[in-house]
Amino acid sequence: MDRILRINMTDRTAAFEPVPEKYQHRAGRWLTSSIVHDEVPATCHPLGPNNKIVFSPGIVTGTASPTSSRISVGGKSPLTGGIKEANAGTGWGRRLASLGIRAIVVEGQPKDGGFWLLKVTKDGASFEPADDWTGKRLSEIYPDIFAKHGGKDAVDVCSVGAAGEQRMASAGICFNDQEGRPSRYAGRGGLGAVLGSKGVKFIVVDNTGAESVPITDQAVFDGGRKKMASALTEHAITKPEGALNSYGTAVLVNIINEAGALPTNNFRKGRFEGAAKIAGEAIFEGNKERTGETHYNHACSPGCIIRCSNTWHRPDGSVHTSCLEYESAWALGANCGIDDLDQVAELNQLCNDYGLDTIEIGGALAVAMEGGVAEFGDGARAIELLHEIGKATPLGKILGAGALVTGKTFGVARVPHVKGQNMPAYEPRAIKGIGMTYAVSTMGADHTSGYTIAPEILGVSGKLDPLNPDKAELARNFQYATAFIDTTGHCLFIAFAILDIASGFEGMVEECNGVLGTDWTADDVGRIGKEILELELDFNRRAGFTKLDDRLPEFMTLEPLPPHDVVWDVPDREIDRVFG
Amino acid sequence: MQVQESGMIFVHLYGKLRRFAADSDPRSESVLVVPWTRGTVADLVGRLGIPRGELGSNIFLNGRYAALDSTVSDSDRLGLFPDDMQLLYKWYFDPELVTDAKSEG
Repeated sequence: MDRILRINMTDRTAAFEPVPEKYQHRAGRWLTSSIVHDEVPATCHPLGPNNKIVFSPGIVTGTASPTSSRISVGGKSPLTGGIKEANAGTGWGRRLASLGIRAIVVEGQPKDGGFWLLKVTKDGASFEPADDWTGKRLSEIYPDIFAKHGGKDAVDVCSVGAAGEQRMASAGICFNDQEGRPSRYAGRGGLGAVLGSKGVKFIVVDNTGAESVPITDQAVFDGGRKKMASALTEHAITKPEGALNSYGTAVLVNIINEAGALPTNNFRKGRFEGAAKIAGEAIFEGNKERTGETHYNHACSPGCIIRCSNTWHRPDGSVHTSCLEYESAWALGANCGIDDLDQVAELNQLCNDYGLDTIEIGGALAVAMEGGVAEFGDGARAIELLHEIGKATPLGKILGAGALVTGKTFGVARVPHVKGQNMPAYEPRAIKGIGMTYAVSTMGADHTSGYTIAPEILGVSGKLDPLNPDKAELARNFQYATAFIDTTGHCLFIAFAILDIASGFEGMVEECNGVLGTDWTADDVGRIGKEILELELDFNRRAGFTKLDDRLPEFMTLEPLPPHDVVWDVPDREIDRVFG
Repeated sequence: MQVQESGMIFVHLYGKLRRFAADSDPRSESVLVVPWTRGTVADLVGRLGIPRGELGSNIFLNGRYAALDSTVSDSDRLGLFPDDMQLLYKWYFDPELVTDAKSEG
């Protein structure tokens, strides 16, 4: 990959530029965070002309490396006011990589309003008016976009939904899956609003005439690729017919519920009576009944051998929605007290169609329920509210602005957020290691920014274990490893396998060396991860964040969470030692 | 180990392990109520006839991450997930508690 495509939406111009020397080996999250750090004024308004959106496929994206078709999207988040990297699984990034495009930077802002379709080819980008496509459900218009641009074998399509057009802070950026459905989201942090504020409705990538991604040392690459594939097909979680392939991430519903850590009714308790009805097993079983077939899951993007993406079917056997992830089943289900899988599926599909982050919307709905807009468990009313969001009614706009704004509007103090982003599907009072990640993540309450916190630090029992420097270092190292994985272009789920199977970890490093011609070792994973985190922390500091923003909400320190009856009681000084 | 049976425990089963409960519908709670006073998870699993090889490392005792050698007492809740359902990030928990059934010998 050898060039950056810079697209200016003020003048509607586009030009290639060479990748600067300082970004020589950077891709994925490393590159998006670098460009945002270097080019976006940290105090800019996220919806103004000075914010930028950066798309970057990973180091090995577009090669034969398995489970590596991810795209990183970066910018300043309108939800948190800090830096954001959102990530999706899709073939879109592979096409960019095959065109030698290491990043697309979208900057500026149209003075005359209006929305545009950007067509990216090997020669650059062209602009087509797209106003006629606005205000519509994405699943209704994606087939037409594909038809106009050569079909799903020729192009992949990125878009914002109605929520992004309306610059809602819960708007995500949508990409198509392998069926051409608008279902894969770089969901969190409101980057869809940023793209919408720049008048971009679609980015269509046509890689006709592309060459394959150049590999510097084929033998090293092949060695690494084989180790990676081996680890993925061996590990109980990632292997064929393993946990993810059979039940998808939704298998976590029953597990986290059993652990008493499934946030229910806006984080009031950690067990949900209806959990089993919306869990991965229920999806698997329901599909069997409704279609007469056993459905193992499929790959969201080309080259994935884990295949965790599920599909939920209606009673008549037709497809209702894909994919119903753990986070979505939780946010739109347990967090709202809803245990009807068909209603949860409908809420999921509406989020996909209107261009919304399911986690933030589930959070906003739950806060709204607490504020009296609906009863917990009223799935039908939740569906009505989703339509209000999609149609941008005043109430819809409040909900679309996310959980914290919804809480402020309705006078709800119990908003489970960090830095303005609603927490995902793990209750921090019950699993304190995750609470640490929520507190210190550069992205707000985020479960993917650092997969693990050292288990010695905090146990479910609520007892405080003193942190010693070794443990803080372990915590940091896992966050660094996550940032590195986000740079390679691999799906984060490889972590299950490669953090258990050492040769898989080696394989990840060797793949990168094979592509780039570098001599990285495992030590470089930590070094690079640290650089990425430091860029992000520096941006956030300059944007005005302080240690006071690395805190969990007050109500969690006061209210014991059933069934464990524990509060959040980690001392601030311990949190501050992770990156202190 | 002598196990007296003057109490009872509630064993929540998931996945293929549901077959050991009366209600094995995956959409509901498959719960075995077992006369029990005190013993290890391994003892219990043996008593119920659950093959050790089918167990994964996601064993929960009263909602806490546990292991085969954890002690189960009267009125406890035990959650057992099979080997193809162990998705929780085990690194969040004490590594001494993370035992794979195979390593128990």
